[in-house]
Amino acid sequence: MAYKAPMKRSWWLQHAAFRRYMLREATVLPLVFALCCLLAGLWSLQTSAQFHAWQQFMAQPWVVAFNLLALVGALYHALTFFQLFPRVMPIRLGEKQVPAALMVVAQWLGVVAVLLAMLWLATSGVLGAWQ
Amino acid sequence: MSEQRFVQVEVVRYLPENKTPEKDEPFSQFFEVPYTESTSILDALQYIKEELDSSLSFRWSCRMAICGSCGFMVNGTPKLGCKDFLRNYPNGVRIAPLAHFTVERDLMVNMEEFLVHLEAVQPFLVEEQQAKAQGVQKYTETYQQTPAQLAKYKQFSNCINCGLCYAACPQFGLNPEFIGPGALALAHRYNLDSRDHGKAQRMKVLNGHNGVWSCTFVGFCSDVCPKKVDPAAAVNQGKVESAKSMLIQMFKGNS
Repeated sequence: MAYKAPMKRSWWLQHAAFRRYMLREATVLPLVFALCCLLAGLWSLQTSAQFHAWQQFMAQPWVVAFNLLALVGALYHALTFFQLFPRVMPIRLGEKQVPAALMVVAQWLGVVAVLLAMLWLATSGVLGAWQ
Repeated sequence: MSEQRFVQVEVVRYLPENKTPEKDEPFSQFFEVPYTESTSILDALQYIKEELDSSLSFRWSCRMAICGSCGFMVNGTPKLGCKDFLRNYPNGVRIAPLAHFTVERDLMVNMEEFLVHLEAVQPFLVEEQQAKAQGVQKYTETYQQTPAQLAKYKQFSNCINCGLCYAACPQFGLNPEFIGPGALALAHRYNLDSRDHGKAQRMKVLNGHNGVWSCTFVGFCSDVCPKKVDPAAAVNQGKVESAKSMLIQMFKGNS
């Protein structure tokens, strides 16, 4: 004497909050592709012929497009992750709670620091000295 | 006085006595309801019951967002009927029973499904076992707590058990055995309380298959919470606690 509505497979299309959630989770798909590219690149380091073939594969427009999509997806996921982080791991210093906004900004500063370090590695010639 | 404004209100109804072998489903009924700036969704339902159709059933009590009785799906979003207003829906509004629960009649759902999970996490101060065993009447003494100790759990203690977070949680919809946001938030609230000694018992429930790890941080539960409890934060802080407790159990050899 009671009714229970069945949960349709399309439940995540029914509300904007669920669509945003699924978009966040779906960023993993282009990211898996980008990781496969990176693994194939490592594998191809065995011979120069393999490495040139990999370079040609990576230069194709559709591969570049998917990797750009992965970059955008990773940045969007980082945006959502950084916002959720202060809620999951609130930091308390004595009586006071560290403001969430400060923790979000600190995480983005971390991203900028890593980017600058990578840029320095790529342009300073440190890597070339190893060859 | 300005001219009386009307809005179309769709109410999703379910009458168990109308059940036939072929059909046992809710149906929609439409009403024209007059409204002003201060007409709440609950006011609209009461107008319908008093003036248009007295057979409509729904729960309500305090009209001021503290009893947690009047939860409905309003245009697909879980809301308290007394805390949401018709002026927000000038193009019409659809009122349905809370999602993911069993509907008993019209807008009334079976809250037992939530209360069972609530009971499982022991949402009360658990007395020290030793004191109990010795028969010490600890409850006659006044508990003392500093403002800093209170601040740790205060936010999570504002829950009014309205069930909106369960209607917002797709993981609860997919698996009704999932303890769910509200009960897990209250478990976390008592785990953080300096007066409590029940954490070890609660962690067994939180670590289990239907505990905190069934949550995927959809986060909609915190969006809809009328008391800003932020159950999603509580559940995910519970994951940190659960990871710690499982590691400790592993090193103790209790698997």
